[in-house]
Amino acid sequence: MNRYVITFSKMGTICYISHLDLMRMFRRTFKKAGIRLVYSQGFNPHPKMGFAQPLSLGYWGLREMMEFETVEEYDTEELRKTIASLMPDGIEIIDCRPLVGIRKTLAAAAAAAEYIIAIPVREPIGMAGQDVKDRYMGQNSIITLKKQKKKKEPVEVDIKPMIRSIEFTPEEETLFVTAVLDSGSVSNLSPELVIDTLLKCLQLNIDRSEIAVMRKKIIFEKNNHQK
Amino acid sequence: MVIDRELDKILKKVEKPARYIGGEVNSVTKNPDEVAVRIGFAFPDTYEIGMSYLGLQILYNILNRNDEIFCERVFAPAPDMEEIMMSQGRELFTLETFTPVREMDILGFTLQYELCFTNVLNMLELGGIPLKSCDRDDSFPVIIAGGPCAYNPEPLADFIDAFLIGDGEELLEAVCMAKKSASSKQEFLETVCKMDGVYVPAFYEPRYNDDGTLKEIRKLYEGAPDRVRRAVISDIESAEFPVNNIVPFIDTVHDRSVVETFRGCTRGCRFCQAGMIYRPVRERSKETIEKLAVKQLENTGHDELSLLSLSTSDYSRFEELATELMDMCRERNVALSLPSLRLDTFSFKVLQEIQKYRKSGLTFAPEAGSQRLRDIINKNITEEDIYSAVEQAIELGWEHIKLYFMVGLPGETFEDLDGIGEIARRIMDINFRMRGRKGGRFRVTVSVSNFVPKAHTPFQWAPQDTKEMFIEKHNYLSKKLHIKGVTFNYHETETSSLEAVFARGDRKIGDLLLRAHELGCRFDGWTEHFNAELWRKAFEETDTDMAFYCNRERSYDEMLPWSIIDPLISDDFLKRENDKAAAGKVTPDCRQGCAGCGINRYAECFKGVEHAEEVPNE
Repeated sequence: MNRYVITFSKMGTICYISHLDLMRMFRRTFKKAGIRLVYSQGFNPHPKMGFAQPLSLGYWGLREMMEFETVEEYDTEELRKTIASLMPDGIEIIDCRPLVGIRKTLAAAAAAAEYIIAIPVREPIGMAGQDVKDRYMGQNSIITLKKQKKKKEPVEVDIKPMIRSIEFTPEEETLFVTAVLDSGSVSNLSPELVIDTLLKCLQLNIDRSEIAVMRKKIIFEKNNHQK
Repeated sequence: MVIDRELDKILKKVEKPARYIGGEVNSVTKNPDEVAVRIGFAFPDTYEIGMSYLGLQILYNILNRNDEIFCERVFAPAPDMEEIMMSQGRELFTLETFTPVREMDILGFTLQYELCFTNVLNMLELGGIPLKSCDRDDSFPVIIAGGPCAYNPEPLADFIDAFLIGDGEELLEAVCMAKKSASSKQEFLETVCKMDGVYVPAFYEPRYNDDGTLKEIRKLYEGAPDRVRRAVISDIESAEFPVNNIVPFIDTVHDRSVVETFRGCTRGCRFCQAGMIYRPVRERSKETIEKLAVKQLENTGHDELSLLSLSTSDYSRFEELATELMDMCRERNVALSLPSLRLDTFSFKVLQEIQKYRKSGLTFAPEAGSQRLRDIINKNITEEDIYSAVEQAIELGWEHIKLYFMVGLPGETFEDLDGIGEIARRIMDINFRMRGRKGGRFRVTVSVSNFVPKAHTPFQWAPQDTKEMFIEKHNYLSKKLHIKGVTFNYHETETSSLEAVFARGDRKIGDLLLRAHELGCRFDGWTEHFNAELWRKAFEETDTDMAFYCNRERSYDEMLPWSIIDPLISDDFLKRENDKAAAGKVTPDCRQGCAGCGINRYAECFKGVEHAEEVPNE
């Protein structure tokens, strides 16, 4: 099995390309480069490739990951160069490595992700970072409506246990939030819910379109690797 | 590409923001300061539709190969985007550099269908450009337009500075270069109007009779031609064709590699504008087609290839070409799609191969329900052809047959409509006969469109049915086609009448368009956006009589508004064809003998066609 994983960044206007469209772009890139991917069996065969985590439309990503399986074995540096040369503006290939020591897909192994959220506050917020944190995380629970898989109606959930860590850095006109959130198949928290509840908690009235989100990295559960 | 914060905020709010950001693989970036001419190529519909149009890729490629020209793309923003742009004062911009279209030297619209006309006006307004050409001074871009709808340019004549008629491969680049050397709009227009294929409406003034018909077209500038001859490239084998096509990130209508195999059509269907205005037939060699296909697939990474022409099977070496392309595609794991095949034994063999698992429906376009009416429109297909093809199809496992017809054709009676029902019923019967009483999941879809008479066709004088007649015919067909397993679809009446107004409208229609635009009409080709009530109001307020344009039969003596354009096929030919239609006489395919349309006075027929010398001449 020739499994590889590339790490790439997705920054600038290309953040408005959805992850399905990005996937198709990569699929075409492999085709252009003549890199033959392994196909799944069955009626509707599809190439074995996938992102570690889909990135929401409009988010920037600093270290996104995609795995794929090829028919032939490649030198990873060659792979990196070839793929990098075919990327559109806004996608940088950071590295390419063989994917070894893990049986499941990256998507199944992903557990959390670190995000940076930039909230423009028209005037300084007048609180130190720790105060903001105390106010937000000091709540007994952080209840919000969350869409459930399969169910149509969103249900109330407490997102606090899904926030692994959160830090606040207020600056002149922007409040920066660095948060590690559950982001995997077992437990998953969208930064959108953190933004909603945070704005409510701080009584900030800021339009969502003014807020920028960047995913810094995807975190894998170490003990999952061996399973 | 870095964009400003405000635009970034807008993009966060709209549906499918990828429509507005460009940056696709193979899109072109140049330094605007290093080119002499900047042109915005505007498609007056959404990104997904515009990016499926091959002409855009052809012209984008030609213009951008020229170091002195930078061609950027512009599409109509969807209504949600438009609303935000208006409320924030964001002007329409190009996808390549986010430059306001107002800063282009030339803004060129492609007119692929009449119902996009209000979008043209809307895009000018969104670009902060005065709509009427007389209100624009040298500080605004020159507004040009081309495409099939430019063959009757008059409805848009008040808004467009210059129309480009005919093949654009050579003409558009020449027009751009003329902009480089012209010091004013006036000088530019005076230069380009002398080129074959350029119509400058400001140089002509139409005058009307009391009954509203055209009396004369007065020339206002001595140097302008009496009639504007369509531009025609003599040889498409040597014409520039793109291999570095832009690959959209998002799903578009057609998301595939495509090679044009030939231009023009020899069949001579009397309702068909494309069959008239793209004459003569000019082929690309098989070797070139294959080379272009491979290069495109290599440069785009597409997993589908398609061929483009007016009639795929009419390519002179079609069997060889199809066989070789099938082999090439199989090797590369690429799907091959061959539209509008004539269904003979060979085509079935091809279809069997390329649709092994997923058989799409088989399509037939008899257009009319009886042999009598098919003879009138010169559509050379018999019911026997259809039934024998259907038998083969059923045997090979097809379960869906699609039939296309038109209603409102000249000389049509209700018996012809009965014929439509009869064809659907007999196809169902064939299936029962072959597959037993239950007949499986087999179904037939009958789609009916409404006949719209088009300029430069033998039916350009014909009256269109009134809305009431169309509705009556649809209702009649609904009853006739109430057959188990048969689905009946028909085209909306309102938009067909509107299309007819623009297809044969004169310059007075400009007022109607302007009023409709002011009332908020746009995306008229989209069922969900078309607003019949607003259009009714626009007709009323501009005192426009729809019947005058749609339902009136023109006499041969009447001066037609589009007669300013010379399509290079003769007026006599069109009249002769119309007379033969009235007499129910057919005209054979040009390949069986010259029909004398007159195009061979200007261009060689069958250029590049294998065994062309065997086609008998007039």
